[in-house]
Amino acid sequence: MIRKPKDDAELDDFGRFSEPALLILVSLAEGPRHGYSMTEDIETIAGVRLGPGTLYGALARLEARGLIEPLKSEDRRNPYRLTEVGERALRTRLDSMMAVARTGQRRLAHA
Amino acid sequence: MTSAWLLRLYPAPWRERYGEEFREVLVSQRASPGLILDIFAGALDARLHPQIQQEDSKLIKGDDTMTLDMLHRCSLGGPKLSPSERRIAQRLSIISALVIAILYLVLTKIYREAPAVQAVFWTSVFFPNFIYQQTVYLKKRLWMTQALVLGAGLSAMYLFMLGVFLLAKRL
Repeated sequence: MIRKPKDDAELDDFGRFSEPALLILVSLAEGPRHGYSMTEDIETIAGVRLGPGTLYGALARLEARGLIEPLKSEDRRNPYRLTEVGERALRTRLDSMMAVARTGQRRLAHA
Repeated sequence: MTSAWLLRLYPAPWRERYGEEFREVLVSQRASPGLILDIFAGALDARLHPQIQQEDSKLIKGDDTMTLDMLHRCSLGGPKLSPSERRIAQRLSIISALVIAILYLVLTKIYREAPAVQAVFWTSVFFPNFIYQQTVYLKKRLWMTQALVLGAGLSAMYLFMLGVFLLAKRL
């Protein structure tokens, strides 16, 4: 059984928002983005279009836990960027997912 | 107009923080039942699990949300009603109780004790209360808001009761 590393444990508290939160972190790994840009990017990389209710539910949680932070902006839409904590959480979660994927593929190869 | 109305489902501190961005994402998406559901679920979540910390004084200032409005009124000893408003609320409660009773009798005569009819009866128990609250707490709201809240409340109650009776029939 794969044990979950501590760094991404906070993502587990997100409930139904954990998958959108992960997609947001992946989107921000490329650089700061605002909400609209995130939905476009996430649709491109994952084929899912997040509704505004889901997007901002996940964004609010990520911001409250310090995984992302807003940047100051001239207009009223704030871009967001990953914090160090967020980057660490994302790396840990992706490593964990890759370990699961590798195990699954290895087992399928022997099936 | 629609986006502004939908935005009002969210708490005031949330709107101040995310309102403009939310609106931009909202208008970029095609209207669909899924989108509406997403917004309602998000608003419910924002009220049940607020992520934005606000000072108490600011929360009281932002009491234009329905929930805070109700809490504020209750904390002052109940809703403030003029004698005429109280009379209207009482009459509406009585008339609605009579209407639902007649409806129940007619449906029973035609469909006997079908689950859908039984559900009408049990929903009717709450109907006068819904009507009364509608008159009292939502009196300053638009008639569309009143109709939506009343319709959604009664529909949810009816569907719940119907589910209970359908389940009971299978047992």
